Amino acid sequence: MTLLSILGVLSSAIFSGTSLLYTTLGEVIDERAGIVNLGLEGVLLVSASSGFAVTAISGNPYLGILVAMLAGGLMNMILGYLAITRKANQLASGLALMFFGFGLSALIGKPFVAVKIHSLDRFLLPGMASLPLKYSSLFKFDLLIYLVIPVAILVWWFLYRTRWGLSVRAVGENAETAYASGRNPRRIRYQALFVGGMLAGLGAAHLSIAYTMNWTENMTAGRGFIAVALVIFSKWDPLRAIVGALVFSGAVAFQLLLQSSGVQVSSFLLDTIPYILTLIVLIAWGGNRRHSAPAMLGRVYQGSE
Amino acid sequence: MTKIAETVNRFPAGGQKVLQTVVRYLLMILLACIMFGVILVIAGKDPIASYKDILSSTLGSAYGFSEVIVSMIPMLLTALAVALPFKVGLINIGGEGQLYIGAAFATFGALTFPNLPAWVLLPLMVILGMLGGALWAFIPGYLKSIGLVNETITSLLLNSVAPKIVGFLILGFWHSPRDTVRTPNFVDAARLSTFFGTRVHLGLVIGLILLIVFWLVMKYTRWGLEMGAIGSNPQAARRNGIPLAKYLVVIMCLGGAIAGLAGMVQVSGFYGTLFPNFSMGLGFMGFMICWLAGGDPLGIVLMAFVVSVIYSGGNLLQLTRGLPYAVINILLAFTLFIVLGRPNFFKGKKS
Amino acid sequence: MKNKSLAILSIVICALTLLSACAPQSVTTPVATTAPIVPTDTTAPVVPTEVPTEAAPCLIIGATYGGSITDAGYNQAMHEAVAAVKTNIPCVKIIEAENVYDDAGATSTMQNMIDQGAKMIIATGFNHQYPALALSEKNPGVIFEHAGGWEVRANFGNFFGTPPEGWYLMGVAAGKMTTSNKIGFVANAPFGWGLTFINSFELGVQSVNPNAKTYVTWTQAWGDSAKEAEATNALINQGADVITMAVDSPVTVIGTAESRGVYSIGYQNLAAQQFAPQYWISGTGFTLGGTLTFLAGEVKDGKWGDVPFLRCGIKEGCMAIAPFGPKVPQAVQDLVKQKQAEIEAGTLVVFKGPVVDQNGTVRVAEGATLSDQDMGNVDWFVQGVVGSPK
Repeated sequence: MTLLSILGVLSSAIFSGTSLLYTTLGEVIDERAGIVNLGLEGVLLVSASSGFAVTAISGNPYLGILVAMLAGGLMNMILGYLAITRKANQLASGLALMFFGFGLSALIGKPFVAVKIHSLDRFLLPGMASLPLKYSSLFKFDLLIYLVIPVAILVWWFLYRTRWGLSVRAVGENAETAYASGRNPRRIRYQALFVGGMLAGLGAAHLSIAYTMNWTENMTAGRGFIAVALVIFSKWDPLRAIVGALVFSGAVAFQLLLQSSGVQVSSFLLDTIPYILTLIVLIAWGGNRRHSAPAMLGRVYQGSE
Repeated sequence: MTKIAETVNRFPAGGQKVLQTVVRYLLMILLACIMFGVILVIAGKDPIASYKDILSSTLGSAYGFSEVIVSMIPMLLTALAVALPFKVGLINIGGEGQLYIGAAFATFGALTFPNLPAWVLLPLMVILGMLGGALWAFIPGYLKSIGLVNETITSLLLNSVAPKIVGFLILGFWHSPRDTVRTPNFVDAARLSTFFGTRVHLGLVIGLILLIVFWLVMKYTRWGLEMGAIGSNPQAARRNGIPLAKYLVVIMCLGGAIAGLAGMVQVSGFYGTLFPNFSMGLGFMGFMICWLAGGDPLGIVLMAFVVSVIYSGGNLLQLTRGLPYAVINILLAFTLFIVLGRPNFFKGKKS
Repeated sequence: MKNKSLAILSIVICALTLLSACAPQSVTTPVATTAPIVPTDTTAPVVPTEVPTEAAPCLIIGATYGGSITDAGYNQAMHEAVAAVKTNIPCVKIIEAENVYDDAGATSTMQNMIDQGAKMIIATGFNHQYPALALSEKNPGVIFEHAGGWEVRANFGNFFGTPPEGWYLMGVAAGKMTTSNKIGFVANAPFGWGLTFINSFELGVQSVNPNAKTYVTWTQAWGDSAKEAEATNALINQGADVITMAVDSPVTVIGTAESRGVYSIGYQNLAAQQFAPQYWISGTGFTLGGTLTFLAGEVKDGKWGDVPFLRCGIKEGCMAIAPFGPKVPQAVQDLVKQKQAEIEAGTLVVFKGPVVDQNGTVRVAEGATLSDQDMGNVDWFVQGVVGSPK
């Protein structure tokens, strides 16, 4: 295992993990407010397809990214309406949103399959150019990749250092108390969903516009559910999510390295590693209250508002 | 609404409630159809012709109708797999995974014992399928019963692991070199028989029987009433000496067994082979159907029927209207949204 | 008052929809095939199907595809072949269904096509074979043609090109163009023909560059874009400087290679070239328009059945070699063309023994060749391929 191959795995992990991390950050915010979004798969698909479509039509990938973010926020608003205002079961509402996403994305994306787009430019950070080419070529990334860690830190800061973040977390732990202390749980949840949806849309945009540079039906192939698992793995903490995303995508990249080295291990089995890891980690902390989920996660707030 | 209310009021009380429910659901479905019609118009397609296509291809011919029934079969079972644990307050969202593992176990039986006669092999596959599903449900059930992890989270994770295990098994042990990732076709003895030249298979009988049994047990046996009591007040149940943890695990495993049976029924009755990702969301669809039906067996049959009509009808739509098949999911989603959203102007108890 | 009128409206709509169930199925308006937005340089033009106004069509053909017909890959190549039938036999009517992934959907779709009057079904998805076979037993009056399989019945046949020839030539080009001696191959899953394509490719590579190796990664799907991007990046990070693929659409793999400044070789459809304007080497693709026209003509005239297992190669025009990219030296181009001539003349046979596998076992003895049947049942890699064939 040479340094080059290790760096290669790291590069692949960063490249494919960026979209996963954005999506996970969005879901962290949602779940902190007490809403689990099983429809994330559908949200990602609609964002990816609309972002790709707009990029193809306008020729401007940044416009596509913005549209994808907006689409993500709006999709989450549907979940909000059902789960918050109509007080429907969150799991069922999320699944319904997922099916909606399958259909809507297929409709939006159909004319744009295999259309060539103008993708995001890739560049090296200033210090990197001095490295030998075989190393520096591994780390030529696009803007969204460079921004993902700052965004993660920003999300952490919002959740833990601002009043709004405190409200979000309060609503996720105990909505009645939050209401009693003058906050509006419903409004905060809607806000959390919208912000979370925009971040998910950002992840989806990176996937279709910058990473695969293509659109096909159901292209997210389970990434929504991977993000939900990743949120759990990261203990609902945005900074831990960075590590989690690296681990998850690193596992995929490592598996590909093993495959193309002729190692006879089933790629299917290797694919299960992120989930098994999450399960082990969950069992390990199981009794410890410090690591448990936001108390209101999945529950409907029946309050008087 | 008053005209309908007047008509309904002429019926005896029990019939009134059923009629009210049916009318309510019909109107909700109608609203969903109107919303989907708007989408169709925006997409430049003719909504009236589209609905004609959907209805004529599903209800307009005997074969079309049989296809709807075929599509219903696994959903009856996966919905029941959610309804049973729901009675004791457990949320079984692991149907997808349980279905895959049940199918894998049943496939093992079919491929390892191809020379057994059908009357031995099929029951063996049924048992194997249920065993597989029960095993997959045991993990979240057990973890929940010892208070370690929420069963929803565990089930979701295991849902994603199961199809990959299926892929590993097929690629590692079962596929022939010239085929992509699928097992060889099952021998006839491993196939559930079909009726009247359609694709409707014995799984329908299994599903309906189980639903009837479920209804009878819940309503008329002591065990059923006990379960209902546990579901509504677990603390009181525990104080009354019922071994709650054991109950939860057993019921969860039973639910998993039914989902595993759904998997067996699909690979044996419908496909005749096993390949990864054959489920296409059957477990989740079962969850949705159970939720919309409120766990009621008759409601499950009706909702499964509606969902199947939508999915089967969408098939012709892609040929005649040029819409991608996936678009029919929008109609399904609108139906789900509306039923979940319980619009105010539909009077009646909240389901 | 509002509730009452809503109720009446609902009842009326209810009645209408129920009534329509009794109405005869709507006349199929043929789907106008949308031309791809970006121009392709393939041979068969995409022609929109016209609505037959007076005369009934002489033959209705139903075609199913596993992916999108504008994917610049396999499905588009098949679609173009089907469209060529319409161009060559204008009285034909074509019904198409895209994105038919699974067996269940395939059966329903094909049955619907038969209900709409199709007398010929062209099932292009590899996994459509068994659904089509089951339907062929129930519909003896309909002719089924499957792309790339092996089953043959009284009304069920098979057609395909012969990719190994093209792959060998591509291997020659790749072997000459690589400087790192590492070539990356992104493929779906290990199955007979897939392994054969990779083996043919590596045999071509070895014939001009015995030190170059082909590294294989599996995506486990015909069209998982994200996995394809991951695989391509992983291979490039390992040092591969030529990338090729055997999945449905080349767009992601080739586009990713291009974005990283790495050579690429296309497959499935010559339309792939537009995604790698600079680093394209060459490619091989299916041009089966003539073949399908021949088969459709036979069905139309009631004479189908003399070639139930149809395979044709470069010489017959079923497989095409793409134009070379701007960075390919003339010497390499000439060499490839020379080898192509040898293949067409029959002097060069791809799988002529001795052929040795990764473990050193002789798989094809000296002087022998691999039959078509054998090629489909391969479960080994030739020496020089790095990867697991299981």
